[in-house]
Amino acid sequence: MSAPTDVAAAAALLERGGEARAGGTDVMARAATGAAAGPFTDLGRVAGLRGIEWDAEGAARIGATTTVARIAADPALREAYPALTATAAALATPQIRAVGTIGGNLLQRNRCWYFRNPAFSCHQDGGEGCPAREGDHRHGTVFDTSPCVAPHPSSLAAALLVYGARVEAVRSGETSVLPVADLYDPADGARDHVLAAGDLLTAVLLPPPAAGETAAYRRATARSRAEWPMVEAVARVVRDGGRVVSAAVAAGGVARAPVRLPEVEAALVGGAADPSAAAEAVAGLPGRCSPLPGTRYKAALLRDTVRDVLERALA
Amino acid sequence: MDTTVNGEPATAPDPDAPAAGLIREGLGLTGTKVACGQGVCGACTVLVDGEPAASCLLPCSALEGRSVTTVEGLGGDHPVQRAFAAHDALQCGFCTPGFVVEAAAFTDRWRAEHGDTAPGRDEIADALAGHLCRCGAYQGIYAAVAAACTGAFDEDTGAEPPRAEAAEKVTGRARYATDSYPEGYWEAVLVRSPVPHARVRSVDTGALAGLGAVHTDLLGEDRTVRYTGRPVLAVAAPTRAAARAAAAAVRIDYEELPAALDTEQAGKPGAPQVYPDAKARRAAPSSNEAAAVPARWQGNVRGPAGLGFRRGTAVRRINEAHARGDRLLFAAEFSTAVQVHTPLEPHACTARWDGGELYVEASTQTVDGLARAAAQRWGLPLDRVHVRAHHVGGGFGAKAGLGLETVAAVELARLAGAPVRLVFDRAEELSDAGNRPGTRTRLAMLAGADGGLSALTVDSWGDGGVSIGSSTAAMAMLLYGRSPRRVRDHDVVTNRPPGSPFRGPNGAPMAWALEQAVDELADRLGEDPIALRRRWDGNPKRRALYDTAAALPLWRERPRGPQTGRFRRGVGVAASNWPYLLDPSARVELAVEDGRVVARTATQDIGTGVRTVIARVVREELGLEADQVRVETGDSGPVPGPGAFGSRSTTSVGPAARDAARSLAAELAGRGAGGAPVTREALKSAEGLRVTGRRTRDRRGPLTPAVNGGVVAVGRGLAGALHVMEVEVDTLLGSVRPLRCWAGVASGRIYAERPARNQAEGGVVQGIGYALFEQRVTDPATGAVLTDNLEDYRIPGIGDVPDIDVHFHREGWEHVPGGGVGLGEVTTVGVAASVANAVRAATGWRPLDLPITPARLLAGIG
Repeated sequence: MSAPTDVAAAAALLERGGEARAGGTDVMARAATGAAAGPFTDLGRVAGLRGIEWDAEGAARIGATTTVARIAADPALREAYPALTATAAALATPQIRAVGTIGGNLLQRNRCWYFRNPAFSCHQDGGEGCPAREGDHRHGTVFDTSPCVAPHPSSLAAALLVYGARVEAVRSGETSVLPVADLYDPADGARDHVLAAGDLLTAVLLPPPAAGETAAYRRATARSRAEWPMVEAVARVVRDGGRVVSAAVAAGGVARAPVRLPEVEAALVGGAADPSAAAEAVAGLPGRCSPLPGTRYKAALLRDTVRDVLERALA
Repeated sequence: MDTTVNGEPATAPDPDAPAAGLIREGLGLTGTKVACGQGVCGACTVLVDGEPAASCLLPCSALEGRSVTTVEGLGGDHPVQRAFAAHDALQCGFCTPGFVVEAAAFTDRWRAEHGDTAPGRDEIADALAGHLCRCGAYQGIYAAVAAACTGAFDEDTGAEPPRAEAAEKVTGRARYATDSYPEGYWEAVLVRSPVPHARVRSVDTGALAGLGAVHTDLLGEDRTVRYTGRPVLAVAAPTRAAARAAAAAVRIDYEELPAALDTEQAGKPGAPQVYPDAKARRAAPSSNEAAAVPARWQGNVRGPAGLGFRRGTAVRRINEAHARGDRLLFAAEFSTAVQVHTPLEPHACTARWDGGELYVEASTQTVDGLARAAAQRWGLPLDRVHVRAHHVGGGFGAKAGLGLETVAAVELARLAGAPVRLVFDRAEELSDAGNRPGTRTRLAMLAGADGGLSALTVDSWGDGGVSIGSSTAAMAMLLYGRSPRRVRDHDVVTNRPPGSPFRGPNGAPMAWALEQAVDELADRLGEDPIALRRRWDGNPKRRALYDTAAALPLWRERPRGPQTGRFRRGVGVAASNWPYLLDPSARVELAVEDGRVVARTATQDIGTGVRTVIARVVREELGLEADQVRVETGDSGPVPGPGAFGSRSTTSVGPAARDAARSLAAELAGRGAGGAPVTREALKSAEGLRVTGRRTRDRRGPLTPAVNGGVVAVGRGLAGALHVMEVEVDTLLGSVRPLRCWAGVASGRIYAERPARNQAEGGVVQGIGYALFEQRVTDPATGAVLTDNLEDYRIPGIGDVPDIDVHFHREGWEHVPGGGVGLGEVTTVGVAASVANAVRAATGWRPLDLPITPARLLAGIG
């Protein structure tokens, strides 16, 4: 364990190998089964990674180790980015949100029960094949774009997609910025994000907020709380009078990466800002899915979860 | 790495290790429990600078310079601790410290923001969403947290808590087997088969001596593993890391055999044989409490084992009704998923040998039975075996008898010359610690033109992995009189882990099918489902429940007819009953020690409240105050007590305690010290007096002689229950939310009101898990259990349970001394069926397969 206090030192330590650890909720769970061996670079004392800053245009910069609970409860963030704070408030449990960070949420590994089980090996742990594809993949993807069928677990990524947010990372000593959408490769069966082992995600950058925005987050689960969603959806609508000026809709639990749903967005823009517009906008979603034998139920569930989130965002 | 824990400085040697380990082992603060190790269940919750965090996922490095508060640090007089004790917001107590710590932080925050007002159920559920209580004490938890927020417990009310050991459990002082870390102990781990079916050619343990480890073989004579995860041997070493390293150094040569990994494949001709011959079949374990009824085998299918009343008539009537297309014939195939007990305390044992005496601290439902079995196995006189289980973190049937964890720990302790501790991790607990077998059940039920039950046929196939003994169909003999019926049970064995008895074994899957069929016929007869059951059910005790239920606003004002909105409500009903079992050998000893009465019996409290039952009886009989009676259970010894299974603890020890108390009073009277009520002076004068009470005999005696070494007899009469359940169905996203539940219980006199109510509430909660969420899933290619963590094996959380109203019908058991029988099992058997009938009422769709997942519901309602 190393505990650097500034970003450069943390980045330098990471380049030597191992994993960064912030809240530790994902790393420690994997370490318990031997799936994360370390060494671990603790980010908790790197002051420059924590907290929320605002620029002159009202855009937020959220440090990578800002906790999910802090994001959920921040009044200024809630005002500017309601889809983000609603998502943060709904994920995991209070204890996990209290220590889990936005960076960790974006870079966490997938929840596939084969990947997490030390008895199995697959693309994701350096092995070959996907036991879930041949086996029981009821929690798997419904857009089949990669040799791996584990959906990406980051709820916050879906929320950040609807804001066109970017992430800042230190890679080989250089600071670079990339869109959240490019943090993930839906075709990649071996990794859950594109950052290299030595890269350090330092912040999430949001654009200035839009006026007249309404937003919502929904997840489909069997139990009322504390469950990874079968499907989750986040919607953000900017309206002018009774018309939708712009719409951004993203979904999780369905693909190797959180996905935007451009056809749904296009169907909404220019139309009435009314919940009754939702059903038609989502009607084509099942047809665009490529379900696995065990995830056919998700095609309709994706449609209906997005419909639900839109009805709320348009209300 | 320096931190502060409960105000004291502490140092963590390994910054990468989970904080829970430092707190429990390093600092001895064992109130903090580790149950899932994955941040799901919340049992390990501590406050870090006042914020709740899951210490199992928190690296010690995160504690640097911070202040940690554990349950011990709350001091015992936090309003939440008082409220949990007063509202009996706990049963086994294993999850309680985590709940208490989180609720304390929530209550303090809530009051700071809202003043002394009660939060609603949703606010409490949001705050406690990261905690799981397997006993299902949520009703009390809601009440306790709300009350603490109002300030009702700011002062010590001085009221006696409804449960004898409440104070120990809310403070984290209660000690469980998993809290045992004796001086110089070694840690053991199991080496399990990675393949589903193989002959073990050889086990090479040559590397172990060099690693300072010892091992013991667990495979038995035929050297065959029949499921993935089957323990092959156990190894122990001075540390867990060393034990793991030693386990990894064992080389096992498996000659793999073809495996049958699901019941469909296993039942086909030519399928790989789980048991190749009669000898192997005879050694098959049973998933049942009793030995399996003999039956024939055909390949992997065993059975049928049949029972009935006028079987030929039943079959003929059903066939004729089918031929004529009689709409009063309902026939369907139902299925239930494998349900895993999931006690939050895993199977655990610490064993040590000392001068030819064996000391075992185990998480067990049977201290007495375990001691007897151990004495027999290791050839010891019974008085040289000492089994202890002062507190047990849940069992539900999975922790009876001499478990493999105890066998391994005892053997290894002898080899190591040191105490050996063996604790299952959550993956082991969810994979190979017993389960309720799945079932497939074909049921046909015919109502006659007169509206009576004309005929019933049931064929059921149990899915118990390598175990046999499914008797789901047989349970259909217990309800609705003696109308013609034929019931037949089968097992379909596969290369998967064995089942074991689970609260209401066989009854819960039978009720799933039977109570839905009754509901369906009520619908076809155009009759109220409660009225029909009242007519068909000959049980007078349950008749009283029907009358009460029929008058409930919940029932009378239920929505009827088709609904159209997204959220639809329905109310369903289901009846259950359960045999009355007792342990005629149970004894309770009372001794006057230090001016108090100490009650002793070799039973154990796994959350049922048996300590409280004994204390109540003794106090009531002798007229004593709370401080004058102490109950010591959880130790094997000369006073035999019942195992906690078969709903028989209370009805066995209650009368024995009464008998003992009456003997004590008579003895005191004989000495001229007066009888009951007993004065303090009288007790002082009787120091050292010792009497033993027996389980007095029922009027007309039990139905059957006692079996299993005299500890189980079947008594006369059946305990009954009726559940009226209201649900709300989200027809868009497929979830089912139970809103309200009325649970009527006909088990006679209630010995300890609040703990009994709590257990009945827990029965509802577990039934809801069975109905909606719980499903063990195995890998189709290897048979490995995929749901081996609490994220994927889903038990109900606090937000998933209805508001529960328990009603006791207290009459009808006058032939039993004490006037009451057990209720642990009957209170869960019919719950899932009541949910199904409510879903049917809300949506028009009848769920035939458990659990009722959103995917199934959405497909079903179309």
